[in-house]
Amino acid sequence: MTGSSRLTRHRDGPAAWMMVAPALFVTLVFALYPVLDSLWLSLHHIFVGVPTLGRPFIGLDNYLALLLDPAAHQALFVTFAFVVLSTLLELACGLVIALVIHEHFRGRGLVRAAILIPWAIPTVVASQLWRYIFNDQYGFANLLLFGDRITQYVPWLAYPTVAFGIIVLADVWKTSSFAALLMLAGLQVIPDDLYDAAKVDGANLWQRFRHITLPLLKPAMLLALLFRTMDAFRVFDLVFVMTQGGPGDATQVLQFYGYQTLFTEGRLGYGSAVSVTVFLMILSLSLVYLRAIGSSLLERGRA
Amino acid sequence: MACRPRTDLCTTTRRSDAICHAPRVATTAICFLLILATFCRSVPDAPAQPSTDRPASSAHSVTLRFVSWKPDHPRLWDEAITQFTNAHPHISVVRELAPHSSTAYHDLLTQKLKNRDTTVDVFFMDVIWVPEFAAAGWARPLDGRFSSIMREEFLPATVAVGRYGEHFYGVPSRIDAGLLYYRRDLLAKYGFTAPATWEELIHQAEQILAGERQAHPTLRGYSAPFKQYEGLVCHMLEFIAGHGGALLTADGTTSTLSAPDTLAAVQFVRDRIIGRLAPRAALTYQEPESLSVFLQGHAVFHRNWPYAWELANNETRSTIVGKVAVAPLPGFAPGRTAAALGGWLYGISTYSQHPDEAWALIEFLSGHAMQKRFAQEAGIAPSRAALFSDADLLVAAPQLRNHFSVLQSATARPRSPVYPAVSHLLQRYFSRALAIDHLDLAQEAALTDAQIDRLLTLTRTAP
Repeated sequence: MTGSSRLTRHRDGPAAWMMVAPALFVTLVFALYPVLDSLWLSLHHIFVGVPTLGRPFIGLDNYLALLLDPAAHQALFVTFAFVVLSTLLELACGLVIALVIHEHFRGRGLVRAAILIPWAIPTVVASQLWRYIFNDQYGFANLLLFGDRITQYVPWLAYPTVAFGIIVLADVWKTSSFAALLMLAGLQVIPDDLYDAAKVDGANLWQRFRHITLPLLKPAMLLALLFRTMDAFRVFDLVFVMTQGGPGDATQVLQFYGYQTLFTEGRLGYGSAVSVTVFLMILSLSLVYLRAIGSSLLERGRA
Repeated sequence: MACRPRTDLCTTTRRSDAICHAPRVATTAICFLLILATFCRSVPDAPAQPSTDRPASSAHSVTLRFVSWKPDHPRLWDEAITQFTNAHPHISVVRELAPHSSTAYHDLLTQKLKNRDTTVDVFFMDVIWVPEFAAAGWARPLDGRFSSIMREEFLPATVAVGRYGEHFYGVPSRIDAGLLYYRRDLLAKYGFTAPATWEELIHQAEQILAGERQAHPTLRGYSAPFKQYEGLVCHMLEFIAGHGGALLTADGTTSTLSAPDTLAAVQFVRDRIIGRLAPRAALTYQEPESLSVFLQGHAVFHRNWPYAWELANNETRSTIVGKVAVAPLPGFAPGRTAAALGGWLYGISTYSQHPDEAWALIEFLSGHAMQKRFAQEAGIAPSRAALFSDADLLVAAPQLRNHFSVLQSATARPRSPVYPAVSHLLQRYFSRALAIDHLDLAQEAALTDAQIDRLLTLTRTAP
């Protein structure tokens, strides 16, 4: 499309708006409206099951209640633990995978394809898969560890900490390859000359990794970090399928808590407050990241 | 979708080309309309509109939408619907299958009702949802149709749960109450009869496990659902009421988890059942998983609803056919037993366009003949009182004779429009009490009491 500077404003205006209109409309209706509506709802006291309460405006009371709600504290804690653990592990695993599939070796295409399989499986299916793997009676994990000594089989998901660990494990298994893809793209734009020059200067493998790969991979890593953190914050399907938040609220994450309050309990105001809180947390996190990525790209541009 | 090829065509030509503008504007307009059309259909609060596919004049081709869960016996359901449509040729019935779990089904159904979806006519209602559905205005009052004469044909408890305030909102399809299933063969081998108290049950299980350890190392004493979900509330209520405790005070306004009898019952389950009588894995079991342990012959005792009887004696599903018996759940003193009241009702959506046809379907499905058939073939406990003395039926399903007294005296869960929220707090409390080893029960109970009380005050203003 030719640059708009060549066209006069009054001729171009309506046609341009006409073309942007569908996208704008979709954005306004399906992105902005729900967000604003949630924000508006979260300032009200609404209990679907008790319509006689009406829909009184209560300002920030739902947010204050959220601050004092022990179930929400637990969900916040679990969510943060999940985000930190799963994101760090995914970045580490992703880096290793990316370095491996960046090398030239026989069957590389096959390995690359195989690594993408977990990412291609829908999360609900993957969650069911992991639930079966850690089943106490016929789970593969028990078979692998104990074989036919069935009296020793462990009910993994019945222990709060273990159940939480399994949720993290399932997420790392599923999305490390996505982080790897982003970092592979980053690796591929690093010119080979740099490595050749470093070799000539006598740099060993670790030094080359430390001083060439890592700094030049930083933008890709930050991008992977951004995507993974935001995604990890939104974790829902794993919990919904595998544990329903249990045992003893050990896998209760904010998104599932919001779902429960909104859909099961019909507390539209309070549930919206939970969703808006998650939204604000992700928004502020992504702003921090975007600044970081932006500045790192600038540094790279100057270098 | 339709917009893409045309736009691509245009990118090859000059932008100012007049020929190109026309299709662009047209496609833009089409896209706009398409989006508008989909939007109008999915707007949550759009007012109920008469469905366009309904012919204005004739009574022909009314399509009823029956939202039900995934059926245990799909063949029986298909048969029932076919029989109904044969008898009412102008009505066709579309069955929408939702997940089997009561909670997941609740979320899906209430989502449709919140959106005033006119494509829901008849639905199943769990007994605990009636106050919520009535207060929210989702279920139609059925007083005129479900007349007092008709109501007398059903077990009083099943009619009572369908009532909220002045009105009746549901017609009972089945009644459920918690029952104790046990291995008749194993108890007989060690000279035991059905236990009346939990102490007795634990003693029997220990004796049997000790004797069978060599032959059957995976045999466990007890199998029941203890996962963090609605089923946990049912089973814990049975322990608590069997111990003389309650979840709420009699007037339903105050939570009583901190009361000594209630606290002691929870303490008992935590100290004597989980990880001892029942495997710790029971904390991950819903009904199907705990039933499967029993059907595979790995448990001496098992807690479930009446439907489990048919499955336990089903050659294709069970390894213990003919070795099973059923009794009331034990209490903490002989005779003091409690079973949680469950069951399902048929309701009609307020937003249904075809209430008369919907009522015809409900009358048919809850009728004597259909309930008898479901009881015979699927082991479902009927809600019609007359069926419990039906000679044919008692030959096919002799266990119903034993169920009758349990079903008659079952304990209802709290009846409140905010029950879903109360239930979540209860699930959370019970699951934490059972799964976290060093949790301070009294403190946790007091905390949960305060939270439930706060919820219950919301309904003070409600009718």
